[in-house]
This record gives sequence, structure tokens and C-alpha cells, in this order.
Amino acid sequence: MDVRLSEEQEILRKAARDFLTDKCPKTLVREMEQDDKGYSPQLWQEIADLGWMGLAFPEKYGGGDMSFLDLAILLEEMGRVCFPGPFFSTVILGGLPILDAGSDEQKQKYLPEIISGKAIFTLALTEASGKYDAASVKARANADGDGYVINGTKLFVPDANVADYLLCAARTDDKARAEDGITVFIVDARSPGISHTVLKTIARDKQCEVVFNGVKVPKENILGELNQGWSEMQKILERATIAKCCESVGGMQAVLDMTVPYVKERVQFGVPIGVFQAIQHHCVNMLVYVESARVIAYETAWKLSGGRPYSKEAAMAKAWVSDAYQRVVALGTQSHGGVSIMEDHDMPLYYRRAKAAELVFGDARFHRKTVARNLGFEVA
Amino acid sequence: MDFELTPEEKAFQKEVREFLDKECDENVIAETESMLGEGPYSKELIRKMGARNMLAPRWPEEYGGRGMGFMAETIKVHELTYHRGPFPLDAVEIGNTLLICGTEEQKNKYLPGIARGEIEFALGYTEPNAGSDVASVQLRAVDNGDELILNGQKIYNTEAHFSDYHWLLTRTDPSAEKKHRGLTMLMVDLKSPGITIRPLVTSAGMRTNEVFYEDVHVPKANMVGEKNGGWAVIMSALYGGMGGGSSGASRYHFEMLVKYLLEEKPEIVADNPWIPDALADIDIKLHLIDVMGFRASSMSDLGLSTPYDGPVSHIFGNESRRDFCNVVMQILGPYGQLAEDSKWAPLKGVFLRQYMDSPRWTIVHGSSEIQRLVIATRGLGLPRK
Repeated sequence: MDVRLSEEQEILRKAARDFLTDKCPKTLVREMEQDDKGYSPQLWQEIADLGWMGLAFPEKYGGGDMSFLDLAILLEEMGRVCFPGPFFSTVILGGLPILDAGSDEQKQKYLPEIISGKAIFTLALTEASGKYDAASVKARANADGDGYVINGTKLFVPDANVADYLLCAARTDDKARAEDGITVFIVDARSPGISHTVLKTIARDKQCEVVFNGVKVPKENILGELNQGWSEMQKILERATIAKCCESVGGMQAVLDMTVPYVKERVQFGVPIGVFQAIQHHCVNMLVYVESARVIAYETAWKLSGGRPYSKEAAMAKAWVSDAYQRVVALGTQSHGGVSIMEDHDMPLYYRRAKAAELVFGDARFHRKTVARNLGFEVA
Repeated sequence: MDFELTPEEKAFQKEVREFLDKECDENVIAETESMLGEGPYSKELIRKMGARNMLAPRWPEEYGGRGMGFMAETIKVHELTYHRGPFPLDAVEIGNTLLICGTEEQKNKYLPGIARGEIEFALGYTEPNAGSDVASVQLRAVDNGDELILNGQKIYNTEAHFSDYHWLLTRTDPSAEKKHRGLTMLMVDLKSPGITIRPLVTSAGMRTNEVFYEDVHVPKANMVGEKNGGWAVIMSALYGGMGGGSSGASRYHFEMLVKYLLEEKPEIVADNPWIPDALADIDIKLHLIDVMGFRASSMSDLGLSTPYDGPVSHIFGNESRRDFCNVVMQILGPYGQLAEDSKWAPLKGVFLRQYMDSPRWTIVHGSSEIQRLVIATRGLGLPRK
């Protein structure tokens, strides 16, 4: 076992940290929370030019030929600075699924656009139930001539307000088992019949309600197999789960890195508050959560990267990291005291994102069900 | 980045596992579970492991080791505890310190015997007035030419009644300005005249001891490190890197519990829908104990350990394993409280014993609070005053 980053990975991490420290200050993060688009097109193009979108894609599409593990490092750095914008949606929820399940034509068409920063992708899966299971997919795609017509309403679709394409999960067979009648379509976001509304959310990210009203999609836009979309969707969700854990680890580290220097400087009762054992224990407990979250996030990313089985581990990681991030922001806030609950303090940026990260792709209880099933228990 | 064990480590793991599958039999397990200390079957097992160079894999081959790393040590600990064999092996821990601080003569005299499983050591730090504040020890060692004469008392020295030597922290300079500067480490033959060992028993039924010294003569050749340099000997272990924790026996007991619930008592889970969630949480924590433990060991092997890798792994492990015991008692409901000799006791009462023993885990070998103090000050650089 050698869990160090390789020299190449260290270079990547340092480059990402330096770039993001310079280009993604908290002023930008706050500005983007208020911005209609939620991202800076100029910064978007810069990270595309740096090769970040293409990092984990093969060279033949213009990618960097690196691995998911390398991408994990980038995601951690992004989580650290609360990077605003549709990177996660485009690469994790759009690009990697196409690389994994797309036809040659689809890969040729979409991947270079993603890698060059021209196309923004996202995933339209969840609906009114807010759940990540097959039965919750109610949107319909009916065969119509050479294509399909989609009707339905998707909720919590990230970055749909700026997306060029949506991967949309829709039901194509009502009679089959819930898992067997779903198809994933690559939908041009500008197709007639699509409308979106940005939802006001805790993290002020751009999650949207997306209405599909008689949206026509050619059949060559099916991703993977007809009616077999759920198995691909599970892979998408597991991959996204791991990616979200890596991003969260960055946020947790940032909160610890903000808290430790503060308690060394903040003087009360004539001494720095870091002298007090209560505060020391808060900091150590934060460290335990950060370290445990990082090791399980990277262990799982390493498994995915190396083609090892990772489904159970992805559930373990998300269950652990979801809760750990909550505890880190709670302890960081408690150690800071009143100053850190002010709107202009950086802590609330992380406090809000920790909750959003917990709720997306299933919270800890959801994932512990998967772990329990793996132990042999029947869990509803 | 690679989370896989090396081929050499995997081979060692397989070898130890297969050996213990066969040799760590019910007689040994009964001795371990009695919590009375190493009995004849345990000692025999330790000697057999010694004969195969399994006891101290990290030591150089010349002393009976394999020249492997902290990782191999952690693998050994995991396998030994998973199989419910005798643990801890304090002699090996002490030998690790001797490797750093001992003279050539001392290393040659003690290490091969420890590695063969023929020499047992008992830790002798704690006193009635020196617990977490270990530098406060008062057991007095007075210079008397070629020897020292010892008077005083130790407490909670759990291995003393079946060991050959005492790894004894003594006070040689009561007037030292800073109390940790007046300490000296000695190795004392426990058969020396003037030593009295009296049993103490924990609420879990575990045997430990208080040890009294009355005019005990110890040759100076048994001094480890410098006179008044005992603190440096203790701290050397901290700076040489540290192996990480392991789920060991808790993983075994977890598997046992899951099997019991699935195969023998499915009605317990059917009646308590919260149980799968609680067990999943434990499963995750036990997994994390092992990954964090292996990680800490690997960093030590690479010479890159931070002052907190080891302690973080240990507090997380000990606290999680303690939580596990509490959850199991809740799962078993009223049956959880039954002693092992009750015909109604589930799984022969093993979880009652574990539950009763579990508060010890976050107290011994540096309480969770002391470990947090170490992490806060040495790891995070928080101010002491």
C-alpha cells in the first residue's frame, strides 16, 4: 500500500490549487450565487484550456488520458474553494456516461465539445419523489416515427439553466419491472417543448425544475440500450456519489484549515482559545472526520479507477462522508463562535454546501441501506 | 496511489491467517476470553509463531524478525485478534523500543528471545498517582554502585503475573526541575526478591495487577537509555512511526452477530427495522478502522507519518469498537444482559463480556483524551498555554 499521490498527481494538485486560489476567490463564489448563469464563462473557458474538462477522457477525443483518480484530485480542490459552475454536471453526469455507454458516433460528436468547453451537459433524473430509484422515473418517452417524444417533469436538475444537452431518463416500457423499462436519452436542451425554472436552494447552486412537453428526440440519441437505461443510471449514480465524496473532502479540509489558525489567534480570557481542551477536541474530531472521509473517498475512487468492484464501497463512502461533512461544519462553526454564522463569513458557504452534498445522490441513510443489503439484510 | 498490499505483505497475511486458522484453537480462544492472561495454550501458540518468525515481522532477521514494515505488524495484529489469540504482546512493543534505544548487548540478549516467543515483558508505567500524567511516577530507584535499589508501587500492569521482565519507569532524580527529566527506564527480572504481585480484577473479569517493590536490587546493565533519560525512551516510540489500528476481534464478532441475526434470529431484525441501518454504520466504521490503520502503517513505512496518523487511527478505532458493543447490546435486548452460564445467553454471552470490557479500550495505552491532546498540540500545532 502506498497512498501517496504520484509526482504527476502532486503537480496536478498544486497547479489546480494555485489556479483556483488565484481565479476562484470567495468574492467570485458569492457573485456566482447571485448570478443568473451561476458560472463565469471566461473561467469556464480557462479551465477547458487547462485541460480540466478533458482530464479523464481518452486522447483521441482531445482528452488528457488521465484517470478518474486524477479527476478526484481536481474535484477535491474544487470542493475546497466552492468552485461554482457546471463542471460536475458536464464531466461526471454527462461526459463520463457518454464515454462509458455511448456509441462511437455519440462519443465523436459530444466528447470533443465537452472537452473543449463548448458544451455543457447535465443529468435529468429525479422527479417529484426526490428519490434515486427506478420506480420514481415517471417521465414518458413514447415512440413516434423515427424517434421518441418525451413528456414529464424533472426536479433538482443541476445547471439545466445553462446546459446545452441533458441526459434524460424516461420510461419507455410501462409493463416491465420498474428497472427494465427506462431509457436514457441525450436531449438537445434547446429542443422545442423544454422549459426550466431555477430553484432557490440552500447552496444557491442552479438546480432546476425542467418540464418536457412533447419534446422530440431522434432514436440515435438513445444512450446505451432501449429499456436498459437503469443499469447505466446506477453506474452514473455510483460514479457521481464517489465524485461528490471527493469534492466534499475538499470542503471539509477547507473548514479545518480555516478553523485551526483561527483558534490559535482568537483570544478570550487572555489566551488563544486553542488552549482550551474543549476547542482542541473539536479540532481533533474535525481532523478525524476529514482523515476518515479522505481515506474512504480515495479508496473508492482508486477502486473505480482501477476497474475493481466498487458499488458497496461507493455506498459506504457516501454514507460516511455525508455525515462527516455535516459534523465538520458544525464543529468548525462552534469553534469559531458568532462570527462564523454571519452571512459574510466563509463558514456559511461550506455549511450550506455540506447539506446540499449530503442530500444529493442519496443521504447517509439511503446508502446504509445498500450496505445493509450487502450484509444480507432485506431492506425496503 | 495504491491501496493494495504488496505481494510480500499478502503472502505474509496468508501465511499468518492459515497458521492461525489451524493453530489458534478453542483452547487458546478460551484463555483469551477468560481475560486472565496468557495460559499454557496461548504461550504455546506464541512460541509456535515465534518459531516461524511471525511475532516481530518488523525486526531485522538477525533478531528473529523478517525485516518487514509496520504494515506487516498491523497485519499480524489484525489476524491475531481476529482469531481471538493472545493480545497485546507487550514484549514485542517493548522490543520495538529496545531496537531504537537499547545497547547492542541488550538487543542481543532480549530481542531473539522475544521474537521466539520465549521472553514475556510487562509494561510498568502506571502508578496510583501517575496515570495519564505518566511523568509523575514516583517508584524510586536509588543509585547503589553497580546497581539501583527500587522501592514503590505500580498499578494496572496487566501482563505482570505471566511475564519474565518488567519494563519499568522509575524515578531516579526526585529533585529534577522538570519532573520528566528525573526518570529512568529499567528492565527488571520479575523473579527478583522484594517484588510482590497482587491481582486486581476489572468489572469485565479481566485480571490485572498491582506490583510492589521493596528494596529490589537491579543491575545498572538493565538500564535502557541514559540515567534520567527515561522520558526520551518513552517518546522514541512516538517518533519512530507507528502502526495503525485494526478491527480484528470486532470484525470477527460483527460477522458472528450478522450470521446469528440472519440465520438464527431473523425475528429480531423483523421487529426492529432500525437494526440494518445501525449494522451498516458499524460495518462502515470497521472498514474505516482497517483502511485508516493500514494507511497509518504505510505512511510510517514510507517514513512520512505525521504525529497524528497513528493516534487518529487509534482513537477512531477504539471509540468505534466501543460504540459497536453498545449497539449490539441494544440489538440483543434483554438477552444481552445474560451472563455466559445462562442457558438463555445468546452466543455464549460473548457480547456481554465485550460490552463490559469496552470502556477499557479508550482508557488504556493513552486515553482518547490524551491522544487528542497529542494530536492537537503535536499534530495541529495548537497552543499549550
